[in-house]
Amino acid sequence: MSMSEALQEPKRIKEPRNLSPRIAWLRDYYFQGAKRSWNNEFTAWTTGTDWDVIFDEMTFYIVPETYPFLQTFGSSFRQSARQVPLHPDFWTWSLPERKAWFVKEVMVNHVPQEILPGDLIAGARFNIQTSTCWNRKEARERNRAVLGRHGTRAAMKWFHDHGYGNSGATSGHLIPGYERVLKIGWKGIHAELERHYGTLSHRDRNGGKGAQLRAMMTAATMPRDLAGKYAALCERLSGTEKDASRRRELRQMAANLSRVPWEPANTFWEAVQALWLTHMLIMSDENYPGPGVSFGRIDQYLLPYWQRSLAEGMDRESGKEILKCFWVHANTAYDAMVRIGNNGITAGYGQLITLSGLGPSGADMTNELTYAMLEVIDEMTPILEPKPNVRLHRGSPERLLDTVADMVGSSQGSPFLLNFDERSMAGMLLEARKAGVGHLINEDTVHDYAPVGCLENTMVGNDRSGTVDNNLNLLKAVELALNDGRDFFDFIDPITFKREKVKQAGPRTGEARTFTSWERFWEAYAEQTRFIVRRCTEVYELSESVRARFCPTPYLSCLVKGCAEKGLDITQGGAELSFTTLEAVTFATTVDSLLAVKYLVFDAKECTMAQLIEALRANWEGHEALQAKARFKAPKYGRDDDEADAMAARVMDLWCTETWKYRTRSTNRQFRPGMLSWNYWVADGFILPASPDGRARGTFLSNAICPSNGADINGPTANTNSVGKALAGMSGDNAGEYRGCRNCLPNGASHTISINPSLLRSPEHKAKFKAFLKGYAENGGTCLQINMIDADTLKDAQKRPEDYQTLLVRITGYNAYFTSVGRELQNELIARISHEGL
Amino acid sequence: MTGTSDTSGTILRIQRMSTEDGPGIRSTVFFKGCPLSCVWCHNPESISPMIQVHWVATRCIGCRSCIEACPEKALRSGKNGILIDRQRCTGCLKCTGVCPSTAMEAYGRVYALDDLVPEVLKDKVYFEKSGGGVTLSGGEPTLQAGFCLGLLRALKEQGVHTALDTCGQCAWDTLATLLPHADMVLYDLKVVDTGRHRDFTGVSNTRILENLTRLGGFMKEHHRPQRLWVRTPLIPGCTATEGNLRGIGAFLRNSVGQLLDRWELCAFNNLCLHKYEGLGLDWQFRGTGLLGREEAQRLAATARGSGVDPRIVHLSGAFRLEDSCGVAQAGPDLHVIKGGCA
Repeated sequence: MSMSEALQEPKRIKEPRNLSPRIAWLRDYYFQGAKRSWNNEFTAWTTGTDWDVIFDEMTFYIVPETYPFLQTFGSSFRQSARQVPLHPDFWTWSLPERKAWFVKEVMVNHVPQEILPGDLIAGARFNIQTSTCWNRKEARERNRAVLGRHGTRAAMKWFHDHGYGNSGATSGHLIPGYERVLKIGWKGIHAELERHYGTLSHRDRNGGKGAQLRAMMTAATMPRDLAGKYAALCERLSGTEKDASRRRELRQMAANLSRVPWEPANTFWEAVQALWLTHMLIMSDENYPGPGVSFGRIDQYLLPYWQRSLAEGMDRESGKEILKCFWVHANTAYDAMVRIGNNGITAGYGQLITLSGLGPSGADMTNELTYAMLEVIDEMTPILEPKPNVRLHRGSPERLLDTVADMVGSSQGSPFLLNFDERSMAGMLLEARKAGVGHLINEDTVHDYAPVGCLENTMVGNDRSGTVDNNLNLLKAVELALNDGRDFFDFIDPITFKREKVKQAGPRTGEARTFTSWERFWEAYAEQTRFIVRRCTEVYELSESVRARFCPTPYLSCLVKGCAEKGLDITQGGAELSFTTLEAVTFATTVDSLLAVKYLVFDAKECTMAQLIEALRANWEGHEALQAKARFKAPKYGRDDDEADAMAARVMDLWCTETWKYRTRSTNRQFRPGMLSWNYWVADGFILPASPDGRARGTFLSNAICPSNGADINGPTANTNSVGKALAGMSGDNAGEYRGCRNCLPNGASHTISINPSLLRSPEHKAKFKAFLKGYAENGGTCLQINMIDADTLKDAQKRPEDYQTLLVRITGYNAYFTSVGRELQNELIARISHEGL
Repeated sequence: MTGTSDTSGTILRIQRMSTEDGPGIRSTVFFKGCPLSCVWCHNPESISPMIQVHWVATRCIGCRSCIEACPEKALRSGKNGILIDRQRCTGCLKCTGVCPSTAMEAYGRVYALDDLVPEVLKDKVYFEKSGGGVTLSGGEPTLQAGFCLGLLRALKEQGVHTALDTCGQCAWDTLATLLPHADMVLYDLKVVDTGRHRDFTGVSNTRILENLTRLGGFMKEHHRPQRLWVRTPLIPGCTATEGNLRGIGAFLRNSVGQLLDRWELCAFNNLCLHKYEGLGLDWQFRGTGLLGREEAQRLAATARGSGVDPRIVHLSGAFRLEDSCGVAQAGPDLHVIKGGCA
């Protein structure tokens, strides 16, 4: 480190840069949030029947915060809905045909079309809540299945109230076949649908397959007709536009829209325009504002258009400006509920874009557009959408790693999800073998995978893997194992205070007090794990089967290979690759709890099982010494301790093995394992009772595959090594390997590490950071997110140092743990970081 | 309690993903025990070769089990927590054994070589990707020369890059047996004036200077260790004078000259006050502030002008920034000085 580097000024909060006046205005306007005169708030549309339902609550079952409002949302959308005059034959059509027509009618003829000032991309309003288009009989049947005493809602609520987690057939969360739209246009897709329809037997044509394909053909004309409307609007605006250059832009936009997305794209501008319209209509079709509808390898499929347009004279910065307009559009998904919360920006929706990564035969696919897009990200950051993902692998070019390191270092929160190809691809190959889809995912195709939503790996254009649909608290099995298959406590409804007595919910695995060996306890835990996994799949079946019957999305089905071929909607399992994912939550808390039971009761004999159970029932109150031993003396996952990590691998193996046993009955989707805890690890910490790892009720559970908060006292490399061991620790099963990597979670595993930006303070340190990433590719997980520490975290660490033993104050790169340095320096650090935040 | 032999040694701690103790990502093994007792020492817990207990207030749940467990009656409860009578404590570690929350904690642990080697090899892949390796630091590793040698040999057998961080206060023969197994040396040189060195560290620097000169000769002859970094702490009122830096620079030019890859100036900080308090020691630098930024720059400029290649002078550490309110603030490059006696 040279002196000039050592004495550089404190880093500032990342700000956008190099924005043209057009983009600066659009970006600033977007951030005005609810103050904007224009927005993309939900509008509601009804058939006008008195039984109409305009809100499909099941798609929000994985968001427990919405449970108290499910009825309210449904009612308010019904009240505010505008009636759409129906086609005279409407009620004679099948449900998917009604749905396709209705969504198209709303988007083309009722929702207004607008162009924001200076915008280069058309397609503004898309957040809609439409009628479910049910006839009276369908509505009655669906309502019984969802709202009845043994309906989906009651099952879901029981599951959540009792601490198992949550489950529901959820929208979004896939990568549609966008590349195909660019290449053959919707015209080509429509022609293929016609061809499939033409090959149907008379009987099929009059049955479900025919109805589905007719619905999809209607849906396939929606982007054409909407683009036509936007083309006319641009033409009209250009007529009154005074500025000559804007006039030219509007004319060009009109020309673009009169071709795409119906025709194949020729230019970069056309390609981005086609991509955006096609994408936003999925959110319209699903009535779902974006979560997880991801773009996949955008720097690959847009590259030919980028190169062609550059060759034809497009200025590089102009190309970036088109992308920046696209960026702003992606963020307007958040407008859905813009008047709730902070500008409506309440969570990461995760329209993920993927850059770089491996190609065929181990080639690196980084290209000039990769770098252009990284510039766009850097210049637009901070902004939430589209959420960038960079795929790294053993052969990633140094220039890419340098860029990533610089961007991580210059922003307070890392702008990236970093995916690691070899580990991720090993998982995809595993699922191919488990589900018998090796013809679709194999050595020649697996490199085309990409993550959706937060980090969930899927294939592209033919895959709906329900990546967030089931979220199971593994820790529930510990509670049940400690109490012979019963909850510790009665459930008391927080609103009505109605008490529900403890029932024998799980299998009877014996009174834990009588267990004389650790293995006996493990057996009980294993039996309860088998039970909770099965229970989760049963709860999912309820919403999955209702969705398959009543909630078609024919437009989305056009963009996912398999649906047209099978004549099945994507909600009916039409996709070629149709998994559903069980995400394990509370992994480290569970592992640490098992380690603590083993240590406290059987190895160190610090207490009897009866004493431990008593302490847990008392939420550790009056048992502080035992709690301290559980927290500080029992082994923990995340320290690169081989024995503890072997327990992690054993836990992993068990629940993964159970998960692979199930398919949905209604749609034949194979369950697959993953680890993504979203925010459940926070809220469910108040539902689940105290756990043997020393955690009291009301404190956080562990997050995804990360070690428990404060457990990873040996630093980032040890933490990473533990994660790698947990992921690849399944014994005796070598298949699914990709170049020496194994990975038992095809969906991927969320892993977050917090570091201080000063690790990147000099070229020498940047090289060390890059080396850490390269080491991660060998020893770590499927993906990594890097959080930069902030003052609030540090203040919290002062208050609760026990939870932050691992917080690195990487001030000059020396790995000082914040809680281990003196109070004065802590205060100085906080002051400094707060100062930087001004 | 202490233990050192060729196959077991007393280790203060292992620091993984260390980025400041040599090139690349390293695991640093801090040996316990040091022949110097620098008045400013930032790691007072590394000086004694004995294992010492200390009490961590934030973890204590007040159960008093440590007091009950102590066979020497060396522990009692005071107004501000557990007090340790250092005269009575034998380091038997009964208190750390019974403490449920690790509030009673040992500085130091006896490691068998066979246990230590696999532990530091856990990050081998990161060493390989970064050009890093393992640094033996302290305390003073040469105080446990047999164990040190065993560790260096075992690491070289595994193809791991090794760095020896030493204060130079040892017999040349000891150093000479270790050097063939070290890929680089981090050498602490604090004060050039012999009298002042004795005042500040308790020992004369005669042998330290002589060993550095001989190290230069060894490197020329054997072409290894391949790299040499010298580190000088900038301690206000002690080492942080222009005269001292000019003197060290001149000595470096004459003794090791071109062999020197880096001269690192590490600014003083007061991070370690809590360690002194935990050990029941007073610290004369308790009230000393950070070096001013301009002063640090001036000292670095002096070092650059002292006859060494100016490009190899590096400055790190915490500096005081004077802002308009006159409030002292840490610089962006706050550096926690660790290891060695720096």
